[in-house]
Amino acid sequence: MSFLELQKVEKYYGDHHAIKGIDLNIEPGEFIVFVGPSGCGKSTLLRMIAGLEVINKGKLILDGVDITETPSSKRDLAMVFQSYALYPHMTVEDNMSFALRLAKVDQGKIDKLVKEAADKLDLTQYLKRKPGALSGGQRQRVAIGRAIVRHPKIFLFDEPLSNLDAALRGQTRVEIAQLHRDLGATTIYVTHDQVEAMTLADRVVVLRDGIIEQVGTPLELYDKPANRFVAQFIGMPQMNIVPAALLQNVPAGSSFAGIRPEHLSISDDSRLTGKVVLVESLGNETLIHLNLGDQSPDPLIIRSYQRTTLKLGDTVGVNWSDDIVHYFDNDGKVLHLA
Amino acid sequence: MKISKYDWNALFVTRTVASWLVAFIVFFPLLFLMVTAFKTELQAIAVPSLWVFEPTLENFTEVQERSDYMRFAMNSLITSVVSTILGLIIAVPSAYSFAFSPTIQTKNIMVWMLSTKFMPAVGALLPVYLLFQWVGLLDSQIALIIVFTMSNLPIMVWMLYSNFKDIPHEILEASRMDGASLWEEFRHVLLPLAMGGMASTGLLCLVLSWNEAFWALNLTSANAGTLAVLVASYSSPEGLFWAKLSAASLMAIGPIIVFGWFSQKQLVQGLTFGAVK
Repeated sequence: MSFLELQKVEKYYGDHHAIKGIDLNIEPGEFIVFVGPSGCGKSTLLRMIAGLEVINKGKLILDGVDITETPSSKRDLAMVFQSYALYPHMTVEDNMSFALRLAKVDQGKIDKLVKEAADKLDLTQYLKRKPGALSGGQRQRVAIGRAIVRHPKIFLFDEPLSNLDAALRGQTRVEIAQLHRDLGATTIYVTHDQVEAMTLADRVVVLRDGIIEQVGTPLELYDKPANRFVAQFIGMPQMNIVPAALLQNVPAGSSFAGIRPEHLSISDDSRLTGKVVLVESLGNETLIHLNLGDQSPDPLIIRSYQRTTLKLGDTVGVNWSDDIVHYFDNDGKVLHLA
Repeated sequence: MKISKYDWNALFVTRTVASWLVAFIVFFPLLFLMVTAFKTELQAIAVPSLWVFEPTLENFTEVQERSDYMRFAMNSLITSVVSTILGLIIAVPSAYSFAFSPTIQTKNIMVWMLSTKFMPAVGALLPVYLLFQWVGLLDSQIALIIVFTMSNLPIMVWMLYSNFKDIPHEILEASRMDGASLWEEFRHVLLPLAMGGMASTGLLCLVLSWNEAFWALNLTSANAGTLAVLVASYSSPEGLFWAKLSAASLMAIGPIIVFGWFSQKQLVQGLTFGAVK
């Protein structure tokens, strides 16, 4: 039996069917990331687990207990909000100890737990300050501290890094990963940033329009996407998709072929030719955009780790090895080749 | 075009004089009232008005002797304070649900609530009067408390609603995740954050109830009459007693002016909520 089970969970907002029957099992200690484009229902699903949104259909089982109807306050889950949602009228210390005080934990124990968390998060010198006197990064750490002092059954993170600047985001991401290794707590993390999903997750849940597109480890999603959506959602720049008709020897039933940019190479022994329309030199890598002409609407992107002398308008050939090509049928589902 | 220093000075002087003039015009009736309260009846009706005279306190003692000022003052105090507390008890949960769990109908309900204030009070006078007559509550503090509470409720709900709207919903959700019951959420999070708004809402309603005259005049008299009733009794069929009327008015508005003076910062903050961020 899994630690947290979602059984055919559904959510309606009036006529809008936001979550369309989600089944998911989460094991103890797992770091699960919900990822998907905006409006896919990832935050809604998290809030349903938190008890902040009503579950219209289906069941939610935590540690063997049905908590579908249990109010948030009784679920023993902790959440870190996108806006941090700190109590502005309380000091950092009071923010972090609030849940423990409500639970009538002994004051000595509260002090000890808060001190531990503050040490871990480098907040000790700010304990007497109010949130208004802290920087964004510090507020974020207080929000995390508020969650960890409680030792909840599950940590829920709702896009916790999206209000931080790029440098701080990278640093906090590393800290969150570290924290999860230290605490070993079950964590569900919502983000639209695939880098966060790939680097943090044990398993990634890709959502679109209220349904799960695929669940798997980050590399499974990258190497074996279940469909065209996942294939293009994971990976930056995204996987090239070309009509299968442009290639030779395609398996029966395939409408599109997908090849990741790093699997393409410029070669005289070419299978496709195109005109260079853009060269992006990033230093460590170079992205070459080719126009394939009328047959393919999107440019083909080649990721090269060598510097190039190609110029706009040059005509070049590309090659690849057959075993890295993904074939999709007309509905976008991947074809499993024998 | 460059404005010379001379023009700036002229502009400044004109603006200052104009402001003082407007302020004086607004304040004049109150000044007239204050001056008249210290005149004898004979001085009070003199034409042209006397501005230099020997002030007397006889009007104030006579008002207290003739009509028991303290009893009317107590009625005013009790009805306004109790109706304000009662109003807050009803309005806070209403505004909470409107602000934090809105439905499709929330806006409509709120507009409907406000629309009850569009109707002139006199439109409802007869049924309200008859209802209180049937239940035997005419000339009682209870009747006024009920009417004051009901008529202030729409304003209270609206003020509290806009106040609560400024509190991020996620902070309340965070407290729920932290294990707070509804009461604990209110007590430890909402109350401290909305204290200013609740205080100014209460203050405004206290002032409105204290100053209310229409219902007080029509539903109460000697027994449960408020200070508004006391003042009105000096413009009676026996004739107008300007000096005593002024003294009674001054005694009626005195407490609330003092009160308003001390709480004006809170009041202004409450009324401009949302306008200034």
